[in-house]
This record gives sequence, structure tokens and C-alpha cells, in this order.
Amino acid sequence: MITLIIVGALVVLVIWAISSYNFFVSSKARIKAAVQEIGNQLKRQADLIPNLESSAKGFLKHEKKIFKDLTDARKSINSAIESGDVQKMSDAGSQLAQVLPNIQVVVESNPEIKGSGVVTKLMDELRDTADKIMYARRLVIDLTADYNVKRVTVPTSVIASIFKFEEQKGLITPDSGEHIEVSAKDTKTPKVKL
Amino acid sequence: MQNIYEAKSANKRKSTIIVVLFFVFVGISFYFIFQAFNYYLGYGPGGLGLMGVALIFSGLLSFTSYYFSDRIVLGISKAREADRKRDFELYTVTENLALGAGLPKPKIFIIEDSATNAFATGRDPEHAVVCATRGLVDKLSRTELEGVIAHELSHIKNYDIRLMSVVAVLVGSIALLGDLFLRARFVGGGRGKSEGKAGAIFMLIGLVFVILSPVVANLIKLAISRRREFLADTGSVAITRQPQGLIDALKKITHDQEPLEAANKATAHLYITNPFKGKKDKRAVSKMASLFNTHPPIKDRIKALENMR
Repeated sequence: MITLIIVGALVVLVIWAISSYNFFVSSKARIKAAVQEIGNQLKRQADLIPNLESSAKGFLKHEKKIFKDLTDARKSINSAIESGDVQKMSDAGSQLAQVLPNIQVVVESNPEIKGSGVVTKLMDELRDTADKIMYARRLVIDLTADYNVKRVTVPTSVIASIFKFEEQKGLITPDSGEHIEVSAKDTKTPKVKL
Repeated sequence: MQNIYEAKSANKRKSTIIVVLFFVFVGISFYFIFQAFNYYLGYGPGGLGLMGVALIFSGLLSFTSYYFSDRIVLGISKAREADRKRDFELYTVTENLALGAGLPKPKIFIIEDSATNAFATGRDPEHAVVCATRGLVDKLSRTELEGVIAHELSHIKNYDIRLMSVVAVLVGSIALLGDLFLRARFVGGGRGKSEGKAGAIFMLIGLVFVILSPVVANLIKLAISRRREFLADTGSVAITRQPQGLIDALKKITHDQEPLEAANKATAHLYITNPFKGKKDKRAVSKMASLFNTHPPIKDRIKALENMR
């Protein structure tokens, strides 16, 4: 009976030791993968943002030109009316007539002026990319925290010291510097001026 | 004020205690009902066979619904798959949070319903589904949506769907057994070898368990469900680190009184808040009535979230 209990306890102990060992090993692998994921997200950002930027710029340039043409035409019409010169008035009229087809093309191809939409889209993508990188880092931090806590707490610390599992660094952050200090300037509530 | 790591382990501990309590209770109930059965029917193979059938039947039923939970629930709720272009916010938020939680990206579905709610299902993280209503996506800001979706992802990460399925099987078996017992008692009365003092006592205890067990088991089941909600709220904050997002989302969702038509009792515990709110939650919920809820009162959830930093 007693031998049976001892054998049973031993079996439980061995199973526990194996699963603890596996926790440390697989945690390390997961942390490594999570670090790679940060790189993956950074790469995505590097590919995506310039493309979005240039397409948004293209849209904006196009629309800016139309708005500028329109304003110019309106200005010259106004000044022509003020001057009362017939020739100037007719010139201004033809200037406006030249702009109109352009506007028509834009309005026909995009029922609403797309500039603001394009900018919104760019902002959305920017935030999304920033979020993705932030969450990729979060995973590294959390996995590392789990690993490091298990490494130093009883009973798993026994396994960690037997197999010499080293501490994982996770997201490397300087131990000192501005980010953990509060200067007098920081204590003031920031005021937003637009 | 509670650090998020402390809050997480405290919640896990409480949840484990109640789950263990449930299994102990179910074990005891089963034991006494079995005993009563045996005394009643004699130790013949007939009694055990009958109970075996009951267990296998309810087990199979629940296992099917659990194994195919992702497909079944979505069929009931009339959801369509979300795509990145049309549902940019929902899609990217879910994708990002899954990344942060270390889960594979779940399937994302959307229900075209103006009610504000969301749920998660699927038997494990590889088969997980996150589903939100159109109303939720439209009415919440990105930060608030993150809070809600992170709550759902925590359910997935904690295997809550699996847990609640197992709990439901056991509650169902107890109810089924009790039913069988009462039926056998009245139909074939006096056939068994229930004479003798011990037999009578066991019969009595068995009868008490038969009558009370289904109710008590159900109450514990609901308590587990509520505990898991708190745990998922904590998990949500652990992923987003922005309790305010989930707090605001919960406030918005409570103010919105529209019930979700696609929800039914079987899926209620999956949602972020009770989907039937418009129908019965209008009056103030008393302590007694709140025992029968799948979700803790929103007030308590907000209070718990405000204590987390």
C-alpha cells in the first residue's frame, strides 16, 4: 500500500516536472515568435504607409488643383466685374469654362469629394498599424512576464534552476531615464491649442 | 485600486473555487441519486443501464452542440462573415487584439441588427468565432469596441465555451436523472428491494437530491457564468490596458434598451451583456432575481473595472 502511494506520488511529481519544463521551453519559443511578429508588423507598416501616403497625396493634389482653379476663376470674375471691363469679363468667363469640365470629371467619378475620405482612410490605417505594433509588443511583454514569474516562484523555480532557464528580457526598456521620471513641467496639465 | 495582474489572478482563483464547488456538488448529487436508484431497483443491471443511457444521451446531445457550437450558433443568429473593407473597424480591432492576446485570428461575423451586443463561440481558439451586431460597431468608438472584443477574446482564451458546455451537460444529466427517478418511482412503485432502514434513508436522501439538485446545480451554473464574465472583463483590460473603453462601452450598451432578436436562451451566456434586457431587466433587479442571471449587474462590473489600473 505504502509503496503504491510512493509510486503514485512519484508519477505525479514526474508529470508535474515534465509539464513545468515544457512550460519554460515552449514559453521561450513563443516569446521568440512574438518578437518576430513585431518585426513582421514593422515590415507591414514600412510597406503600407508610403503607398497610402502617395495615393492620398495624389488625390489631394488633384482636388487642390481644382479648388485652386475654381478660386482663381471666381477671383478674376469678381475683379473683372469690379473693373467693369467687358474684355476682362469675357476672359474670366472662359477661364471658368475651362475649369468646369475638370470639376465635372471629378464629381462624376466620385459623387462626393473624396479628399476627406482619403485622409480619414489614411488616419484609420495609421492608427491600425500603430495598434498592431503595440499589440505585438504587448504579447512579448505578457509572455515574458508569465515566464519570468514562473521562473522565480516556488515550486516552478526548482525546475527553472535545475535546467538553468535564464531570465527573458522581453521588451528592452532602459531602467532609467525620462520615461520613469516626472519633471516639474510634466505635472502641469497640458493645454491644447488649435 | 488593484493592479491588473493581481486582479487577474484573484478572478482566476474565485472562478476556480466556484467551478470546483460545482463539480463536487454534482459528484455528491450523482452519488446519492445513484444510491437511491440502486436501493429502489435493487442492484440489478437494469438500473445502471437506464442511468447509463440517460448519461450517454445527454452527453451526446451536448457534445454535438459543443463540437459544432461555432456553426450552430451562427446559424441561429443569422450572421454573415465580416470583411476588412466593409467592416474595417470590427475586422482590424479583432485582428489586433487577437495578436495582442496571442490567439490565432478568430472568424469574425456580423449580425445586421441595430441592437448592441457581441458574443464569442467555438470549441477552442482554433475554431473560435467572434460576432458583433451592426448596432455595436456603429455606436461604439474604436477604443470602446476594443474593450468589448477583448472581453470576447478573453472568453475564448479562458475556454469558457468549453467550460459552460461541460457544466450544461452535467446540469442536464442531473435533471434527466431526477426525471427518470421520479417516473420510475411512480410507474413501477414497490417493485424494488427498498425495504429495510438503510434503504429507506437512502431513498429519502435520494429524493431530496432529485428534487433539489437540478435547481441548485442551475444556480451554481449561473454563478459560474457570472464569475466568468468578471474574469473576461479583467482579461479584456489585461489586453487593452484601457478599462475606460470597456466601461464606456458597457454604459452605452445598457442605455440602449433594444433587445437582440436573434438571441435565445441557449446562447444568452455567450453575449457581452444579457441580450434580453429590454424584456425583463427594466425593473430594478433584486438580490434574489439576480441569482438567476447569466450576467452580473452592469453596475457591479463597472465598479470592478474602475478598481483596476
